[in-house]
Amino acid sequence: MNGNFEDVEDRDGVRFSWNAWPSSRIEATRTVVPISALYTPLKERPDLPPVMYEPVTCKGSCKAILNPYCQIDVRGKMWICPFCLQRNPFPPHYKDITATNLPAELLPKYTTIEYTLSRGAQIPPIFLYVVDTCVDEDELKALRDTLVVSLSLLPPNALVGLITYGTMTMVHELAYADCPKSYVFRGSKDYQPKQIADMLGLNPSSRPMQAPRPGQPIPAPAASKFLMPVQACEFQLTNILEGLQRDPWPVEQDKRPLRCTGVALAVAVSLLEAAFPNTGARIMLFAGGPATDGPGLVVGPELREPIRSHHDIDRDSVKHFKRATKYYETLSKRASVNGHAIDVYAGCLDQVGLLEMKSLTNATNGFMIISDSFMTAIFKQSFLRTLGKDEQEFLKMGFNGTFEVLTTKELKISGVIGHVISANKKSSCVGETEIGIGQTSAWKVCSLTPKTSLATYFEVVTPAGQPVGPNQSGLIQFVTHYQHSSGQYRLRVTTVARTFHEGGHPAIAQSFDQEAAAVLMARIAVFKAEIDDSPDVLRWLDRMLIRLCQKFAEYRKEDPGSFQLGPNFSIYPQFMFHLRRSQFLQVFNNSPDETAFYRHVLNDADVNNSLIMIQPTLMSYTFDTDPHPVLLDSVSIRPDVILLLDTFFHILIFHGETVAQWRKANYHEQEGYENFKELLENPIADAQELLEDRLPIPRYIVCDQGGSQARFLLSKLNPSTTHMSGNSYGAAGGGGGQAIFTDDVSLQVFMEHLKRLAVGASTS
Amino acid sequence: MAPQFFTPGIQDNTPHQGYPQQAGGPQQGYPGQQPQQQPLPPQQGGWQGQPPLQQGGGMDQMANQFQQMNMGQQPPNQAYGNQKQMHSMQTVNLIGMQPDVRGLEAPPPPFLIPQNAAVTQSPHSQPDPSYQRCTITSMPTTQSLLNKSKLPLALVIAPYRSIRPSDGDMEVPVVEDSVIARCRRCRAYINPFVTFIEGGNRWKCCMCGLSNEVPQLFDWDQREGKPADRWSRKELNHAVVEFIAPTEYMVRPPQPPVYAFCIDVSQQAIQSGMVATAARTILESLDTIPNADKRTKVAIIAVSSSLHFFSLTPGATEASMLVVSDLTDVFLPKPSDILVNLDESRAALESLLGRLSDMFADSHVVGTAMGSALTAAHQLIGKYGGKIIALTASLPTIGEGALKARDDPKLLGTNKESTLLNAANSFYKSFAIECSKQQVTVDMFLFSSSYTDVASLSCLPRYTAGQTYLYPGFNASKPEDAIKFATEFGKLLAMPIGLEAVIRVRATRGIRLSAFHGNFFTRSTDLLALPTVSQDQNYVIELQLEDDLKGPFVVIQTAVLHTTCYGERRIRVITHAMPVTDSIAELYASADQVAIMTYLTNKAVEKAMSSSLEDGRNLVTNNLSTMLTVYKNQVTSAAGASAQLAVPDNLKLLPLLACGLVKHVGLREGTNMSPDLRAYAHCLLTTLPSDSLVSYIHPRFYCLHNMPAEAGTIGEHGVILPPALNLTSERLERHGLFLIEDGQQMFLWVGHEAVPRLIQDVFDLPSYAELQGGKYTLPELDNPFSQRVNAIVAKTRELRRGIYRPHLYVVKSDAEPALRSWALSLLVEDRMDKMSSYAQYLTTVKNKVNGS
Ligand SMILES: [Zn+2]
Ligand SMILES: [Zn+2]
Repeated sequence: MNGNFEDVEDRDGVRFSWNAWPSSRIEATRTVVPISALYTPLKERPDLPPVMYEPVTCKGSCKAILNPYCQIDVRGKMWICPFCLQRNPFPPHYKDITATNLPAELLPKYTTIEYTLSRGAQIPPIFLYVVDTCVDEDELKALRDTLVVSLSLLPPNALVGLITYGTMTMVHELAYADCPKSYVFRGSKDYQPKQIADMLGLNPSSRPMQAPRPGQPIPAPAASKFLMPVQACEFQLTNILEGLQRDPWPVEQDKRPLRCTGVALAVAVSLLEAAFPNTGARIMLFAGGPATDGPGLVVGPELREPIRSHHDIDRDSVKHFKRATKYYETLSKRASVNGHAIDVYAGCLDQVGLLEMKSLTNATNGFMIISDSFMTAIFKQSFLRTLGKDEQEFLKMGFNGTFEVLTTKELKISGVIGHVISANKKSSCVGETEIGIGQTSAWKVCSLTPKTSLATYFEVVTPAGQPVGPNQSGLIQFVTHYQHSSGQYRLRVTTVARTFHEGGHPAIAQSFDQEAAAVLMARIAVFKAEIDDSPDVLRWLDRMLIRLCQKFAEYRKEDPGSFQLGPNFSIYPQFMFHLRRSQFLQVFNNSPDETAFYRHVLNDADVNNSLIMIQPTLMSYTFDTDPHPVLLDSVSIRPDVILLLDTFFHILIFHGETVAQWRKANYHEQEGYENFKELLENPIADAQELLEDRLPIPRYIVCDQGGSQARFLLSKLNPSTTHMSGNSYGAAGGGGGQAIFTDDVSLQVFMEHLKRLAVGASTS
Repeated sequence: MAPQFFTPGIQDNTPHQGYPQQAGGPQQGYPGQQPQQQPLPPQQGGWQGQPPLQQGGGMDQMANQFQQMNMGQQPPNQAYGNQKQMHSMQTVNLIGMQPDVRGLEAPPPPFLIPQNAAVTQSPHSQPDPSYQRCTITSMPTTQSLLNKSKLPLALVIAPYRSIRPSDGDMEVPVVEDSVIARCRRCRAYINPFVTFIEGGNRWKCCMCGLSNEVPQLFDWDQREGKPADRWSRKELNHAVVEFIAPTEYMVRPPQPPVYAFCIDVSQQAIQSGMVATAARTILESLDTIPNADKRTKVAIIAVSSSLHFFSLTPGATEASMLVVSDLTDVFLPKPSDILVNLDESRAALESLLGRLSDMFADSHVVGTAMGSALTAAHQLIGKYGGKIIALTASLPTIGEGALKARDDPKLLGTNKESTLLNAANSFYKSFAIECSKQQVTVDMFLFSSSYTDVASLSCLPRYTAGQTYLYPGFNASKPEDAIKFATEFGKLLAMPIGLEAVIRVRATRGIRLSAFHGNFFTRSTDLLALPTVSQDQNYVIELQLEDDLKGPFVVIQTAVLHTTCYGERRIRVITHAMPVTDSIAELYASADQVAIMTYLTNKAVEKAMSSSLEDGRNLVTNNLSTMLTVYKNQVTSAAGASAQLAVPDNLKLLPLLACGLVKHVGLREGTNMSPDLRAYAHCLLTTLPSDSLVSYIHPRFYCLHNMPAEAGTIGEHGVILPPALNLTSERLERHGLFLIEDGQQMFLWVGHEAVPRLIQDVFDLPSYAELQGGKYTLPELDNPFSQRVNAIVAKTRELRRGIYRPHLYVVKSDAEPALRSWALSLLVEDRMDKMSSYAQYLTTVKNKVNGS
């Protein structure tokens, strides 16, 4: 079954929680986990044929796109829209269609197809760098170097611009030959968008009108002095970057530097909004610290005022949090409406205010990368990796996307969870229930990568007592319109069909994709937690898990010992156990910035990566056996093994006590110990493989048992052997494992509770 | 054949050679010459017995004092001479007389103080009138006497007037030993008019009478380390003296000279070539800007609809531009490197100035945000003080202090015209006061080809001790325009300025300062604040008597405390002593017509602005008439109506000056005067030093085609000028060449019958027809006449103190009506439009005097 799910995922980029659907609303609600799908619109499909013509759309109100599930009448040159049942004539150029001569979009193997639309984007992708200069000299140097390198990775025709900020915000003019020139904005002031446009000379009334000439590209707007093709300004921009100085304003001993991140972003958003509305663009913010001045201030300049923690927020004792959050939300809204993405790269040991700023990336699907310093590989490689290219040398990045979902009438859309905003499309596909961002059938997704995965949620809508007929299919069409890095507009269309079954039909249980379901439920949980970080979310998760088990497990009432889950439900509780313990829901061990970061990454990831985040993988390396996965459990720690932990955010190599001693003694460098050398090298090689295409670059940790860094491992392990439990449980061989100092319940205890609750036994 | 005329009235028996008559034959002067001068009217009345021009009259008086001075010995306390010296009284009738304009150059009546009033016999114990003079050179004993006399009592000072060695000016002596003797009570500085008592151990203040201790080191030569001769101390010998002030005189360490340039770079400014010329001039002035101790700081702000700051990092070879468009909330884009040390950032500065105009070549901006730029410049230099030099070719229509084109022609000639002569909004005055507080002066250079609202913009220089300069219709492609501006701007930049100055005037007890006129801000009741003190500006201070004066003479002392541009705190002290009189006749006999005119000019401009132009003109005429009424009734004792207009000889040119003043651009009646030109005239009228002011009100007029042989050649005192003519077009001849100049412009009037030879000699053109009027650069040709004319033009340009380089306009007598009538408007004895001729003006005054 699993294999099947992944095949579908490979073909259509979609993983459903349920692959067979209950045929009535009431039955659907009883299945607990909603019908939902994690869809990866730009999933890499090198096998797809280039389709260089316009899609054929239904003439009815649904505007569905011709697909293999349409009934066609080759003789009548007609097709019937499965979504609205409208009969549509084929367009004239389809006149030669026959049952054996079908266009690609009608072939069953192309349930996913991508059209290259004839109308290209007028404007190449835009990259606006927003660079913090309130950083140490060596930080600035590292940042400058990386930014210069990044220029060479951009498409030569891409428009680039540079804003730097510190006490003031400066917009650098790139077209000015006489000397370096920049427009300066006061860092403490809340400028209105029109003011900013006026001050940059972008207001059309303030420049001579040019009659638009047909056929010509849009006349060079006033903004062209700030945003120029990289091929035309690379030299100038490189010079400016290399000459970039630290913020010159003096900083008192007991103060933070004045850093006007809010104004810098307002200027960036306004610049793009005024000059290039509704076209592919990204604002790339490189923040070396928190905003300390002006609108969007996260922490005051006085050093004695600490930056807020989760506890402060919980106690509601934060001065700036709400105002700053609201400020950045307003900016995010303006950017996302125009299709502009905002990336945030934090290079700072302390927090930079990602919690307040998270809407910037979350509303626009920008990148959020957190690093201790701009000198780290994490920053440098993560950033440069975002500019990775495909085989045709195009950026693996789509711009200014719109994601639309169509359903046949028994299915309605509840919403999407992912880094999108509503495009406010009220179609007949929109359901009443709202999960995530709902009340619409279309969303803006300003930036798309091949990994970008959107969680979509559905409900079955049938009139009371009128279930869908048996074996009838429901259809979902995902339509993603975006600006390709080549400048083309493309339309990715995925049409999927699933069968309805009456409630209780075994096909439904068998169609459960527990991995996808875990991820889809995790997104809901995080979505809820974003609104309110309270224990209610955990209780909700527990309740849902218990209800699911009650519905699908086999057991005798009130007999926990009889509890048994089918294979495609068996590890679902474990995912929930780890999700409950994860940094996504347990915020107090992390800073607010980290929480924002982790959640941001989760909400864009596909099923596999999400699972790693929820339940990290643990590999064990030792003599005589091949490397093999082991339980994410304290029992897996042994003196003679090396463990490789992958939490997605961290990759950690852990040397058991004995291995560590040998390594310290340098045995691996001595003759006759080649096998030990190999043992040490294997996890390193595997770790490198994991690092290969991961974004963000994980933190890489090598540690020894007993070392301080080992806490990263211990915090992830199931505490089956705690200081409380002694050695009584689960350690098959006895004497193994390491006690973990925690009050958390272990998986085993969790499972016991679950069984009891599911079967209706009294909890002890 | 033209008739041949004899040229009367000139003792020139060797007229110009080499201008043969067209028809041949002996020739004097140019052919077609009319009788050049009316024979002087028969001398009558006051013309007889006219004293010789007072060259050295004062010197004689001083010489007398020397003789009676006891060298090195304390004059006895009570020993002021008892004999009252009186000015000789001559009454003159003006009606029917042609005024002798040469009298305008005469020095004022001397201060006839008692012979032994000064402690030394120095010839310099009284100041040159160019530093300090008084409307009356004798002081009335009481305010009621003064009121009765109707004479104004005002001090006219130009304490920081330039030193021109070419004019024989003496450097101001400097007291270098920091021994500054001041009265403990009234804080007066020791001066030639104090008295030493108690064997020379104490001195008695000439202002308040307090006995003060003589400072310990007063008689000690610190440099040589030996006793010194007290009587050779400069402050006891010189009316004008400068002390090097010790640190007690400093509120803070001496500030460096600071110059912030706010340069309009809007389309008009660029296209007129103003920016290029200004930048080049600054570039060329980098070595002449006062910078003796390498502390001078400079900043450049280019302004259009945005402010463009330039970061000039020390050592960098290139500037970088920082644009600030937030015009209502101006801020500095960088904490450093915008105001930079001239030497340290020289390379970047030069590079910037070299390309400044090109940088904005594409500017399409109309109007400027000059007010915002000034605010920024103020923020920039406020901590040091210094000069903001603003150059704009457009009306500041954007940002702070934005102005509108409000020059509604319907207002001209009405009483509302004066609103156009005042600032349009409060920004200009309040900002100026802010500047003054922070020791910042604003100089305004205005270049617009259309309305610039000089009235508003000139407020800034007015209250900050700066100056306004106007270049209407400036176009650098005309070399004359470029040279004039570059020369004046260059001189301004090279001018040594005094920083953080205050002027305080002290006078003998009983005398009170009551009003102040000039470019400064009156900080407390009698302290004039001048952030920087420019050379050659004039101030007028009105005096009143609050107590009757008991002594035989009074002393008035002006002290200018300032920091030199090389970082020294100095006090320039100017002291004069004047006798006290209880005689109205003596008051009249001692009146200084030029000082009175300077006073009246300031009062008239003030009235024109506060009330109406007509009231301004009336103020002049009424004041004059009232004085002459008193003179007639109280001094000449002539009763009843008279056909004559009697004036004291020393005031005989006052009516002519008054006539010139009421017909001056600044006050003239009419409906076609541009408010900008009027407002600019007001700036000059209220700041020009008296000698310049006289020619500005009463221009000079020379005949060039028929001038004495020595005119235009080098004499003992440089180039000899031709005799000045009366300002009447009767003197113009159809074939002649004339020069009319008022210190601001020169008109070379060419009669339409000028012979080709003259045209050839002066202009290198074949005929009059080929000559183009307008701004002109005279060629320097290889003939004596060309050389002489050029020498006269050159001499005229440097005749007066100040940075002005007057334009030379060639005016063809039968062409260019506008130019022609402009030139003719300077001939103030003529009737012009509705304005009366001098003769008519005299009749008006006479009628007032006669009470009709
Ligand atoms: Zn349809
Ligand atoms: Zn005294």
